[in-house]
Amino acid sequence: MSLRLKARKYGVAALASMRNRTAYMGSLLGDALSYALFVFVFSRVWTAAYAGRDEIAGYGLQQMIWYFIVAEIPAFGFGRFFSTLAEDIKSGQVAYLTARPYGFVGYGYAQGMGKAAVDCAIYVALGLALGLVLAGPVPSGPPLRAAAVLASLAAAGSIQYLLQLALAMTAFWAEENSAFFWIYQKLKLIVGTLLPIEFLPEAARRIAAWTPFPSLSYAPARLFAAWPGDGAALALIGTQLAWASIAVLACQAIYALGRARLTVNGG
Amino acid sequence: MHRITHKPGSSRRRDGATMDGRPGRLAAYLRFLGVSFVVNVQAVVEYRVNFLAQVFGMMLNNAAFALFWGMLIGKVGNIGGYGFDDVMLIWALVSTSFGLAHVVFGNVRSLGRIIQRGELDLYLLQPKDAMLNVLASKTVVSAWGDFAYGFLVLGLLPGFGLERLALFCALSITGAMIFAATFAAAESLCFFLGDSSGISSAVTEFLLSFSLYPETVFDRGMRWVFYTLLPSGFIAFVPLAAIKSLGWPAVALLAAIALLYCAASYGFFRLGLRRYESGNQMGARL
Repeated sequence: MSLRLKARKYGVAALASMRNRTAYMGSLLGDALSYALFVFVFSRVWTAAYAGRDEIAGYGLQQMIWYFIVAEIPAFGFGRFFSTLAEDIKSGQVAYLTARPYGFVGYGYAQGMGKAAVDCAIYVALGLALGLVLAGPVPSGPPLRAAAVLASLAAAGSIQYLLQLALAMTAFWAEENSAFFWIYQKLKLIVGTLLPIEFLPEAARRIAAWTPFPSLSYAPARLFAAWPGDGAALALIGTQLAWASIAVLACQAIYALGRARLTVNGG
Repeated sequence: MHRITHKPGSSRRRDGATMDGRPGRLAAYLRFLGVSFVVNVQAVVEYRVNFLAQVFGMMLNNAAFALFWGMLIGKVGNIGGYGFDDVMLIWALVSTSFGLAHVVFGNVRSLGRIIQRGELDLYLLQPKDAMLNVLASKTVVSAWGDFAYGFLVLGLLPGFGLERLALFCALSITGAMIFAATFAAAESLCFFLGDSSGISSAVTEFLLSFSLYPETVFDRGMRWVFYTLLPSGFIAFVPLAAIKSLGWPAVALLAAIALLYCAASYGFFRLGLRRYESGNQMGARL
């Protein structure tokens, strides 16, 4: 099958997922409200933390609130795939999916990204409005920054989806695999989501640099709130792309191993 | 669909008594809560691995926030006058209260869905009070992790002693009552609105979020909310002051306030029950 046909097939899957997401406006609004509440509460926390200070760990108050607003977009938009994916495997739904004329990883990715695109569009618009009210003007940066942040958000979302899929596929071997996801989720929260990695102790920061966690929220938030310079920005995005490639390979390998263990009974 | 008319006070027992304030009934209801609790526990520990994974997972979730506060307060000293120990004490109180509310009244945040689907019929036909019965008929597994986490944090904080532990237990019970009453009232909106899931989940998010952060970070103009609609003040901030000063008189005051919230929530549920429409659904409790 040509690449163009493949792209069309997965494009249709993403589009169907987008339509499905927009059909439930109540759920969308509920998630947006949670995001807004979280941003509001943390903007108050940061305002109190900065009382009598101009900067902490290299960030000013305005930058920190903007950082949090952007870091929470991938956390909210791409952070909740695991339970559905794990359930697909535990319930045997995966047997139905593997028999279809599409790749299991690619199809799931297209579906996940379609839904997340709708969510992220809302969070970006809401985040900008909240930021202007709670933090003030957008921190300064070069004209290319918007494109870099969007690319970084897309890469962050892709890595988040793939890592969650990899963890979900441990259900081929372990019946109860939620604990793996919880550990991943908490590491993600601490390494770059609630706080920039500059807040971590030096040793922890050095270790974190060798993990995918700074690519999940820190990279886009840092690019938006405190532009690190063109070279460092390219390095951040390059690192994200490297982790995305590793995650794709890991998912394909885990799926191939897991599929071999799949036993289908009945019809 | 047909309407079941259910007037407040009409939940007459087999012996003809109502639950309204009779001392003998109180003991019977406490026994009933005890039995429900034991049955719920037996049901969840049947899946031991799942139970332990969820309990420790929730404790891990809470511990992640402890790391956040540790790193942040380590950089700035305090947040709005709250040091690390203060914030952790708030987390301990809120976590144990929230956990206890969901351990004992596991259906408290499913009440709206139960009303909406007409599944309340099952409880209306049973001899015990419908609201208490429905709330106590389930336990939330992950809430056991919340419940235990508070005690763990309290034990690790400086100044731990028997008196502090006793005060903490008393304040967690009043906190759990206020949590349960507020959530149940929000879920009971379903009687009036049909689908109140948006409002009730917002109440949950707001109440939790406002309870888990220092009161002083919020503007003075909005703090009245913490002592009325979203009673974070009575769940976290007043208990924090009481524990720090070992102030037992606050327990009596908070117990009275908790009873007031419970009575208001119960009254609201009974008011809504008049509007309840059966789903004609067949069901059984096993």
